[in-house]
Amino acid sequence: MKILVCVKQVPDSAETICIDDAAQSILYKESCVFRMNRYDEFALEEALRIRERFSGATVDALSVGPDRVRKTIYKALEMGVDHGIHIPEESVDYLDPAARASLIEEHARDNGYDLILTGVMAEDDMECQVGQILAALLSWPCATSVMHQEIDLEKRSVYIEREIEGGAREGLTISLPAVLSIQSGINRPRYPSLSNVLRARTLELETVNPAREARAVQTMTALSYPDAGATGTFLEGTSADKARELIRLLHERSVL
Amino acid sequence: MSTPIYIMALHARGKIFPETYEVVSFARELASSQKTIIVLGTEQVLPGLTRELAERTGIDVLGVAGEYLEHYCAESYTAILKEILGSSVPLTLCIPHIAMGYDFAPGLAAAMHASCITSVEDVHEGAFVRAMFSGKIRAHIRPNTPSVFLTVLPGAWKPYTGESSSKTRVTIVYADKPPVSTRAHGLKASSPADISFADADVIVSAGRGIGHPQNLSHIKDLAALFPKSAIGATRAVCDLGWMSYRHQIGSTGTSVSPKVYIACGISGAIQHISGMCNSGVIIAINTDPYAAIFRYATYCIVEDVNTFVPTLIKEYRM
Repeated sequence: MKILVCVKQVPDSAETICIDDAAQSILYKESCVFRMNRYDEFALEEALRIRERFSGATVDALSVGPDRVRKTIYKALEMGVDHGIHIPEESVDYLDPAARASLIEEHARDNGYDLILTGVMAEDDMECQVGQILAALLSWPCATSVMHQEIDLEKRSVYIEREIEGGAREGLTISLPAVLSIQSGINRPRYPSLSNVLRARTLELETVNPAREARAVQTMTALSYPDAGATGTFLEGTSADKARELIRLLHERSVL
Repeated sequence: MSTPIYIMALHARGKIFPETYEVVSFARELASSQKTIIVLGTEQVLPGLTRELAERTGIDVLGVAGEYLEHYCAESYTAILKEILGSSVPLTLCIPHIAMGYDFAPGLAAAMHASCITSVEDVHEGAFVRAMFSGKIRAHIRPNTPSVFLTVLPGAWKPYTGESSSKTRVTIVYADKPPVSTRAHGLKASSPADISFADADVIVSAGRGIGHPQNLSHIKDLAALFPKSAIGATRAVCDLGWMSYRHQIGSTGTSVSPKVYIACGISGAIQHISGMCNSGVIIAINTDPYAAIFRYATYCIVEDVNTFVPTLIKEYRM
């Protein structure tokens, strides 16, 4: 059982980013701290739990991006991943999901993975695409928003429950190898153990330089801030003033 | 844009997801070119679904039938759509950005060498606008490919309610594309809903900004002021285990439109906004005056929920 988890590095807070004057690039302020995408932490935790269930299973973590993403791969090693892979990619502004998926596919194709896990989306660009495109490129089945999985190694299949609207769940069984995009809340991601933190320090990352240039199918042409004109009425005064005004407004609408 | 436009209608339990009609509004606004709605299902449900779609939109409907289509299945959807759309390229395919839509759209787009732009919330000078960083920044994306797939953010367009036409054509064809790698088991019986959002005039919702699960008592106290109220939460609050997922409002939770929606300590991520932006009046209480939620709120209150709610209750009882 060989598992690959794709992790992305994202800025910790939207407060430390802004748009440049040309409205073309995102500027990361000096105070910007990068960390692992939270959805990927759930994917990573799920991979580690699968490894605990199947003896001999291994988990690789992979990230695409500039040198700074190596720190996030080390975080994955600290959580307990066996092996870390870095695919260097220097696009600063926008790497489209098809291009990102094709870089991962190049590594995944010939490495004998049974399962590839991703987070359901990245917190920064929120596209929900890379896992599904990766599966299409590999011609593997794929399921998104996974909230439960049960692997049957004998049948080479996995039973999945995916979350749909209203918190309802849809069940399906797909054959392995497969790509699963993991929804938040499927588990509680662990904190790194001291022994794994120390172990991670001794490990080297594998660097996989892409053989071909990723082909983008779409281009980011501009960035903007949301329309500020839509701002509502700010209630003024002391807390008690605001409370009285709110009560009046609620009375006016006959709900109170 | 003169390429044909296809609109994917999605359904479960015999009902069309209402987001489908929002996508119809989006597609009508996008271009006047030839439009077709596609819906996949069993022979039993298709006559009803295709009739409803045709009557409500006045757009031609293509129904694709197969007994294996009782439940949604990405593999079959991809195989069927690739075959029926393959001869119409270049084209634009518009899909609701709901769990079924974004499940198959990116993979199908890759298989058809199309670009795929997800959770589109606006169109600006030919570029498709979508939120990044929880709505703080909007990216304008242009496709580089002749065919374009667009998933449309729920709530960004109003459901289509315009005139329908009597000339609408409904076609039903059979497709023999049973899945090979997937067995779809359908919807799981969900736990009995104890939250009746639909009956509530007022929904009071908690975000991560309430700080601690103990502070949910303030949310409950506030909701208790109203005769017909319900308590909601953001996904973050449910992920933290502070409330059950049945309370979750947003794109992966329930979509609500009460008379009054009170957002407490909610930052305003688009996934939450899309589930509540059709509420009559939106009241937001947040300590951060720059929180995105204030852009959607009718009334903005810059206060700490945990001190403001007790004040509000005291004032109300005076």
